[in-house]
Amino acid sequence: MNVLIFYSALFCYLLSALSYLVYLIYNKKTVERAGHYALLAAFFIHLASVAFRYLQAGHTPITNMFESLSFFALCIAGFFLYLKRTYAINSLGCIVLPAVSLLLIWALAYPADIRPLPPVLKSLWLPVHTTFSFLGNAIFFVSFLVSIIYIIAEREIKRKKSFLFSARFPSLETLDSINYRCMSYGFPFLTVGIITGSIWAGFAWGSYWSWDPKETWSLITWIVYAILIHNRLAIGWRGRKTAYLMIAGFISILFTFFGVNFLIGGLHSYM
Amino acid sequence: MLSTCNRTEIYFCTDSADESLATVKDVLIKYFDIDRKILEEYTYTFQDEPSYKHLFLVASGLDSMVVGEPQILGQVKDAYRMAAHSNTTGYLLNKLFHKTFNVAKRVRSETRIGYNPVSISSMAIELSKRIFGDLRNRKVLVIGAGEMSETALKHLKKEGLSDIFIINRTFGNAKKLAEDIAGIPYPFESMSDLLGQVDMVLASTGAEKPIIGSGLVLQIMKRRKNRPLFIVDIAVPRDVDPSVNDIENVYLYDIDDLKDLSQKHLSDRLKESERALSIVDGEVAAFSSWLRQSEKNPLIAYVIDKAEAIRAKEFRKASQKFKNADEETIKNIEALTRAIVNKLVHPHVTFIKQDSDREISETIKRLFTLDEEDEKDLDNRNEGQ
Repeated sequence: MNVLIFYSALFCYLLSALSYLVYLIYNKKTVERAGHYALLAAFFIHLASVAFRYLQAGHTPITNMFESLSFFALCIAGFFLYLKRTYAINSLGCIVLPAVSLLLIWALAYPADIRPLPPVLKSLWLPVHTTFSFLGNAIFFVSFLVSIIYIIAEREIKRKKSFLFSARFPSLETLDSINYRCMSYGFPFLTVGIITGSIWAGFAWGSYWSWDPKETWSLITWIVYAILIHNRLAIGWRGRKTAYLMIAGFISILFTFFGVNFLIGGLHSYM
Repeated sequence: MLSTCNRTEIYFCTDSADESLATVKDVLIKYFDIDRKILEEYTYTFQDEPSYKHLFLVASGLDSMVVGEPQILGQVKDAYRMAAHSNTTGYLLNKLFHKTFNVAKRVRSETRIGYNPVSISSMAIELSKRIFGDLRNRKVLVIGAGEMSETALKHLKKEGLSDIFIINRTFGNAKKLAEDIAGIPYPFESMSDLLGQVDMVLASTGAEKPIIGSGLVLQIMKRRKNRPLFIVDIAVPRDVDPSVNDIENVYLYDIDDLKDLSQKHLSDRLKESERALSIVDGEVAAFSSWLRQSEKNPLIAYVIDKAEAIRAKEFRKASQKFKNADEETIKNIEALTRAIVNKLVHPHVTFIKQDSDREISETIKRLFTLDEEDEKDLDNRNEGQ
């Protein structure tokens, strides 16, 4: 049952991704609308599937690779929907939605069955810590994509030769202001995620901070984004430089999430 | 009567071509009080097929100096609206002009002929949109109050700028231009101050050496907290040092950059115009055959029209399904639909032609389910004859 809901969400995401790709090429308003409604449907079905899993399992379904990737994708889709309300960023759909779809397909590579919760994770901090961390990561993922487009489009306008990206994607200022917004939402989430994690660690492992690889890397990530905020607000960094830092920050997130789980190991490797 | 920047055309529908043409020319000679010789030298006339082919080309912007310009369609529409308003268009001209708008629309949507701007000011606007999104409530600084600034500004103003600051070596000229386009004149010395406030700069002074160097812009960018600055330098020689483009968040386009882009866009348009021409040719052929039929008998034209409308509608619907097929296949399928419809309609047409007591015609009328509106349409056709 749950799998069925999951698949129908994935189907809607793929439909939406396809619509947005067609929209990018033919620029037809009706196609964009189709993509938008497919995305709305996908998001709510996906949300329902996560909620359903929560009821079935009896705990927050962010405890293994399948659940994490799925929840991460859900956060991205939700944040994109939120951004769409304020900015004219329809063309970004052709990047965000394929990414979301791929994340879900990737999630399917992992066992999706519900397992009993390991005793160490049994805590009220599990939903709080994971939700904040993933929301933060999802927001920074969007800013990562936006930054890549910014850098390519900006280079096109400077070089004056071809305008493949800049003619189709949102203007430089729009991209930059999305980046700014991502920063001002993502950073608090990331911070709360780290603090709640630390408190939880204090209860579970008896020490608030034990310098395990995941903790260390999330601190590095936090510092990268803190530098970004400082430079933006105090020195007035804008545009390309902030875009590069955003990319660096997200690479650090990737390493925190995957590098630690797969390569290094440590207290945090459950998945 | 259609009047554009480089042509004036008169379209009319008549039974006796030579006579009417002479009348029109006489009227023109009398009205403008010009020599017949001069008039003859500058006029061109088209009749029948070439005439509506010409109209299709004009309306689609294929006959313009700047290929693919969009304004012309608006001018054709205005001309038609005015004529229709004063009741000087009959059934045939109505039909022709509606067809024309249709053709122009097809050319615009099926080719990329009007996709990229080619004029200096519309390119500057397009580029500014890629940087800022739109120009609403943006501020622009104009340096130099020459003619170049004035034309560019007229275009820019339509984009909803909030402030236009104008500076010039001679303050009087700045003031004059400011009055013309509702801008605000400032003394030349306040340039560096204003550069800190605006989003876009339009430079076109007659200065011998660049008046804006990278040192000045670096200073200004610090004051602007790196807010992006778009500089358009249309002066020859340049007003802004080219190295300014290397500064972060500053985008400098000079007249040569814009001309290069314009060339590129224009050659894109010429490539597209081949495809546009084939659309026009197809439509001309369709219109000719429609015209031939309607000349003989309005009912025939009606039946053919109706059948063609059904065919076109169904084909459009069905074509969603084989979007992925290659062009050759789609063409063949469309030809097939045409062939079937023609075969089905042909006996009706023959019957109508042979029908002396109009009995069969009545039946055919009913067969093609004429409702009230269709009846009116048919009456119109009879009048048009």
